[in-house]
Amino acid sequence: MVEYDRNSQREQPNQPALKTCIVGIGGAGGNVLDRITLDRTVDATLVAMHTDIRVLGHAMAPAKIQLGAEMMRGVGAGGDPDLGREAALFSREQIRQAVEGHDIVFICAGLGGGTGSGAAPVIAEIAKSAGALVFLTATMPFTFEGRRRLAQAEESLQQLQKRADALILFENNRMGELILPKDGIQKAFTQADQLIAQSLRAVSTIVTMPGLVKLGLDDLTSALSTSNGRCLFGFGEARGQNRGAEALKRALKSPLIDQGRLLHQTKTLLVHIAGGESLTLLEVDGIMKQLGRNVPDQTHILFGVAVDAKLGESLAVTLISSLGLQQLNSVAAAAPPVEMLPMSSRNMPSVATAVVPGTKVRTPEPTTAPAKAPTPTAVAVEEPMDLLFKAEEISPPVPAARQKVEADLFASNFNATPPPANDIEDDPVIEDEEEEDEPDVEEEDEEEDVEDLETAAVQPPPVAAPVRVRPRIEDFITPTPPPTPTPRSTTLAAVVARAATTVVTPVEDAPYAPPQNNVLPKKQPSTDEQIAFRFGSEEDRGRFKDTEPAMAGGEDLDVPTWMRLKRKLKK
Amino acid sequence: MAKSTIYAGLEIGTSKICVVVGEAKRDGTIKILGVGTAPSRGVRKGEIVDFTKVQTCLNDALVRAEEPSDVMVRTVFLGVTGGHVESQNSRGTWRLPDGQTEITEDDVEEAKEIARNVAISQDNVFLHSVTRQYIVDGQEGVRHPIGREGRLLEADYHIIHGVRGRIQNAVKCVREAPLEVEDVVFTAIAAAQVVLNRDAKAQGSLMIDIGGGTADFVLYEDGMIAASGCVPLGGEHISQDIAMALQVPYQRAEDIKITEGSCIYDDVPSDEMMRIEDDNGFVLGEIERAFLNEVIYLRTREILEQVRKRCQRHIGRLAAGVYLTGGTSLLKGIDVVARDVFGMKVTRAGSAPVSGVTATFENPQFSAPIGLIRYAQILDQEKPFMSPLKRLGRRMADLLTTAV
Repeated sequence: MVEYDRNSQREQPNQPALKTCIVGIGGAGGNVLDRITLDRTVDATLVAMHTDIRVLGHAMAPAKIQLGAEMMRGVGAGGDPDLGREAALFSREQIRQAVEGHDIVFICAGLGGGTGSGAAPVIAEIAKSAGALVFLTATMPFTFEGRRRLAQAEESLQQLQKRADALILFENNRMGELILPKDGIQKAFTQADQLIAQSLRAVSTIVTMPGLVKLGLDDLTSALSTSNGRCLFGFGEARGQNRGAEALKRALKSPLIDQGRLLHQTKTLLVHIAGGESLTLLEVDGIMKQLGRNVPDQTHILFGVAVDAKLGESLAVTLISSLGLQQLNSVAAAAPPVEMLPMSSRNMPSVATAVVPGTKVRTPEPTTAPAKAPTPTAVAVEEPMDLLFKAEEISPPVPAARQKVEADLFASNFNATPPPANDIEDDPVIEDEEEEDEPDVEEEDEEEDVEDLETAAVQPPPVAAPVRVRPRIEDFITPTPPPTPTPRSTTLAAVVARAATTVVTPVEDAPYAPPQNNVLPKKQPSTDEQIAFRFGSEEDRGRFKDTEPAMAGGEDLDVPTWMRLKRKLKK
Repeated sequence: MAKSTIYAGLEIGTSKICVVVGEAKRDGTIKILGVGTAPSRGVRKGEIVDFTKVQTCLNDALVRAEEPSDVMVRTVFLGVTGGHVESQNSRGTWRLPDGQTEITEDDVEEAKEIARNVAISQDNVFLHSVTRQYIVDGQEGVRHPIGREGRLLEADYHIIHGVRGRIQNAVKCVREAPLEVEDVVFTAIAAAQVVLNRDAKAQGSLMIDIGGGTADFVLYEDGMIAASGCVPLGGEHISQDIAMALQVPYQRAEDIKITEGSCIYDDVPSDEMMRIEDDNGFVLGEIERAFLNEVIYLRTREILEQVRKRCQRHIGRLAAGVYLTGGTSLLKGIDVVARDVFGMKVTRAGSAPVSGVTATFENPQFSAPIGLIRYAQILDQEKPFMSPLKRLGRRMADLLTTAV
């Protein structure tokens, strides 16, 4: 067993760690933040923000900001996004102080309510103007929460799309599928929180953790940037024996990637494997091989491995990808008419403004069809934002040069179509912001060292390849010839006549070209000539070949029944 | 007061070696004191091929049985099986000497002698000769002919015999362990003692003990054993078929059989796939569940059909139906297949309740070894043994009562 040299992932002293900040806004955001606080696995500044002082009092985050303290007097926004926005604007100075100095700001909020929907865009804008990359993780309300909340959520989403660098959207309806319908509502919400917390943790870990094969923000954004795409996210962690297989199984089980089925048509897939110091090459190899069965060969796999002592004995697999809306539709075609979330193109009437603050009007009937589509969405920011307020209002003017750099940077980053397989030259976002150009070079050197080191011991493992030449899935799996489809029929003769390990293409998968099922390595047991030769030979008796044959009716009963039957049918 | 004797039953099976230590009480009950099992090596189709391997496994099983029961096992009842075991029914006819009308013990012995004098192969040796019934002047179903009036006495016997060398090899192997073999019992006979109750035997029933390498069967009719035998096919053949059909190692096939296998393939949707994993839990590939089940079904059906073929004459007169026991009887759907093959009621059964470890007697895998204890007990009851001291005591008591 070859273990990674633990020295190889020593952090470079001259590269300061990326500072991340996670902001939880409103009730839902606060819950997610609580979850993250409890897990204690993310190395980030955690800030809880809420208008309601009582809720904020219960929050476990180390830093708390009461939005609009004087204006709201510690009372919640009451489902009115306008109030939420006002409150956030009121406390913008505090917010700016909290997010300032961080390279990445994650904002998580539950859209649809007052504080979350209203304050999130403001906070995103403040963070953006403070020079941070803004990732937004949001939940869309359950259908049963009513149309008004959905409309509020959608309006807020539109504003956020212009302000956040990447948007990961979860739909509560979909989350509900995580659990059985009869389970308690509390469990439903907890489960949703858990999944969001996991995704936040995974993303922040991926971009900040020094890895043997490092994945950067550029990889992340390229995995997420499909035009009009939705994010597919899967995360699995396991320990003990078979942890690699177990973790991958869990990651694929995520409802957001539909049991791995949605991966069949992704163009880019980001895979990140993290484990404690006991992570072995064999495990990584096994996981990648296994994963190769779930994605088509032409998929561009962005691959990262990191050793994190915090993980101890467990191993975590993260899958992130995105899928265009149309492709998703074709998959979900069987589902009831899908009401997709409106993306930036669709204009929503501002229902929110017409509503008297403080009153909650819920339309009783839920929307006709529960959205069946996988939910998280990554939205590339393309339009210039119409600012909610002047940047000068809240932050000291940023030097023009820097702004220019940023603008270029984001433009190149998010307007670009997914980069071709080996073109990774664009936008080293973080490094630029840190005003450092060296890390890349050094990282590469170091990894080459690792490679050299390992070459001595074993075959050059693909995982140790330099970052710049990304390993592709082809490196991990040996190509197998496509299976020969066999006519399907249910007669006994046909089933028997089929070779032992017949590959059958699942019918329902056909329209969107699933990867081939790599069925057991087979040594096509019998052709006609062989049968003639080997009839009754010792070979067919398997483990009974040394024993006295059990003859009955001219047949050797030790030869498998199906084999004898097959021969009879052939005759 | 019930006197009890401790017996040990030993079954050297194809898949496992099992030692059961039990207390047979005079009132007919059994208490299991300890059970020891060890996976079996060096046994093929119920017959020992590798002495040293078997002895190692046997010692493992022995230690495991001795520890909880706190008994040191010296002698065992050895269960044997194998494809060589055969059976036949034989009738001995004895005409009473002129002038004698009452049947005496000597006449019975004569009839028995004639009945047992069947032509079996030179190499073969009797395992059991079970009295089925006596017929006095054409009257069937006589249990105790001594003292009856009659002219013609017929003794009806069921004789089970096997190849001498093979049976002796088993005995020899156990003796080298070292253990003394008190009696050699055909496993099906032993298992039937605990699986079938008196009613089932009286109404007519067929018990099939499907183990790893063999399927042993006993058929009872009117409370009498009518047929018995052994089909050298068992659970290992099913696993072997799976291994060859799916091209996976034998052990993996065995696991698949236990966890996923079923004999029912009709209702399985044809596109339902099953994952096959390697040792590290990674998926090797997928196969159709219907295909796997059909492979299992074909073999299971064949095993049962082979049994049916051997007791064809008696089928149709069995009111209590078929009783399945042994490890392979745990296979999903085997009862459905058996119902199909035999066309009668099918019961999956373990041993009848005995006291002791509940999990043991409910598990059909242990039917035969527990049956060995019961067999020992029955032997004991048939020949009431009294120590001289006890006999003296009883006589004294008689004398005292008459004196008073």
